[in-house]
Amino acid sequence: MIVASKRERFGYYLFLLPAFVVFTTFIFGPMLYSFYLSLCKYSLVTTNNPQFVGFKNYLDLFKNTQFLTAVKNTMIFTLALVPLTLFGGLLVAMGINSKLIKYKRFYKICYYIPYVSSMVAVSYVFKILFSSRPDAAMNALLAAFGVAPIEWLNSADWAMIIIILLSFWKQLGYVMIIYLGGLLAIPEDVYEAVSLDPINGPTMLTKITLPLLKPTTMFLLVTEVINSFQIFTPVHVMTSGGPGMATTTLVTLLYEKGFKNSNMGQASAIAVIIFFALLLLSIIQNNLDKE
Amino acid sequence: MNYKTLRIIKRILLNIPLALGSLVMLAPLIWMVSSAISANTFIPLQSLFPTGEVTLVNFKEAWMFPAATTEGLTMGTFFLNTIIMTVCIVIGGLLFDSMAGYVIARKEFPGRTFFGFLALSTLMVPFYVTAIPQYIIVKELGWVNTLTALIVPSLASGMGIHLFRSHFRSVPIELEECAKLDGASDFRIFFSVMLPISKPIIGTMTTLKAMWSWNQFLWPLIVINNPKLYTIQQGLTFFQGQNVTQYGYLCAGMTLAILPLLIVFLVMQNFFIGGLTAGAVKG
Repeated sequence: MIVASKRERFGYYLFLLPAFVVFTTFIFGPMLYSFYLSLCKYSLVTTNNPQFVGFKNYLDLFKNTQFLTAVKNTMIFTLALVPLTLFGGLLVAMGINSKLIKYKRFYKICYYIPYVSSMVAVSYVFKILFSSRPDAAMNALLAAFGVAPIEWLNSADWAMIIIILLSFWKQLGYVMIIYLGGLLAIPEDVYEAVSLDPINGPTMLTKITLPLLKPTTMFLLVTEVINSFQIFTPVHVMTSGGPGMATTTLVTLLYEKGFKNSNMGQASAIAVIIFFALLLLSIIQNNLDKE
Repeated sequence: MNYKTLRIIKRILLNIPLALGSLVMLAPLIWMVSSAISANTFIPLQSLFPTGEVTLVNFKEAWMFPAATTEGLTMGTFFLNTIIMTVCIVIGGLLFDSMAGYVIARKEFPGRTFFGFLALSTLMVPFYVTAIPQYIIVKELGWVNTLTALIVPSLASGMGIHLFRSHFRSVPIELEECAKLDGASDFRIFFSVMLPISKPIIGTMTTLKAMWSWNQFLWPLIVINNPKLYTIQQGLTFFQGQNVTQYGYLCAGMTLAILPLLIVFLVMQNFFIGGLTAGAVKG
């Protein structure tokens, strides 16, 4: 390494300056400000400064049925979506990775296209597909099999299922690509060494492939849970949290409270709760990784 | 049965579910395009392709649609806003990320590890957690309803710095030393030696940033409420709440919002896939 003079060192900080001004202003500063705001009563409509109220926002939230429903819905969404996408993505990745498949690139693109498409646009497309009109797309398909039209997004049970389905469809390609990267990173000689022993497919999968993919699975588990916790766009576009409160999630509630009702204190409290939940998850993952 | 026929059967058995899966993955989008180019109002999902006359009139209608509510604005305005925003975020972001990644990777100075750690730690902060204070800051700066509000907060990314750092670490040190002996300054070395050999990582970051910027939704929703400055994603909300019986032009609008990025993805797919995998393996 070349020894740097004082003047050169000053230059290095100039290289860092733009990025870290952005980080300080729009990430680290707001982060700390969030903690403070969550302890305040603050509305953007009035001109009053934030008024310190202690843990009132948190206590109010835990007594609030809206918040508890949002927590429940976010949990259901995450617990359904994450195992589905991880399992589905692994399955597709193993299929495409097989030596028997020729058109790998073609398949990769097919599975990947939904991930690149705009979430707002595909949410509208799903909204039309699952329109409750009897002559519209999905109901027309069901009618061909003699199934009666379904209310889809107007029904409390189906609405959440459709949002999970859309998110699965959109996220599958990403999980597949990451798993494919993980599979390609497994050295060829591992399989060669094993193939000397008489070992069947399922044993190979559970004893060799899956353990070697564990770091990839851990990475995906954490990123997918973080993503699922922040589900917003499809709900906002397709159901606005309804029918009733059936699809209200933490972030849609945060948006509702903060930017529609201008209750910045309580919205910040939700933000801080999301942050600590995800932080806890990362810490658990880190510890599991070390084992 | 000999080995060869068994292999062919296996190949077919594996291709069938993969191909069916591909069809299911593409079906909603094929249906969307079919509806957009079809003169018929409803295309049942099972037919997938246009059943009647094919027309482009839906696209024209979708392009002009917002005009009814916003005194002559068309999708063109939203496209222009989104393109300006995306280009600024990509170019500015690449510059800021690569500069920071470079010195963290290659230079010895007090606080180097600390800055590296800070950059990575930003990946731990979900956007939604900071959305409210970010909005308050943007409001204090007087940036509400300006493109600046859309661009500036996205000009640096922890992932970008991280990927550039990994890249610059792999460049041989001799390259820099030679340039240094020739009397080049650090700025000169960075811009005329290091950046030109970074094309793959620049390609990767361009696609990732373009995708992220083109598709972002909540932030524009918060800081922009003047339809003249709407992004394409926000523009689509004009279609919401319409008592729609003509699905054709709705689908045309969605196709217009998806298509540009899809083209970028198909042209640059290797960079794109490489970038995501790199983020996962090294991250």
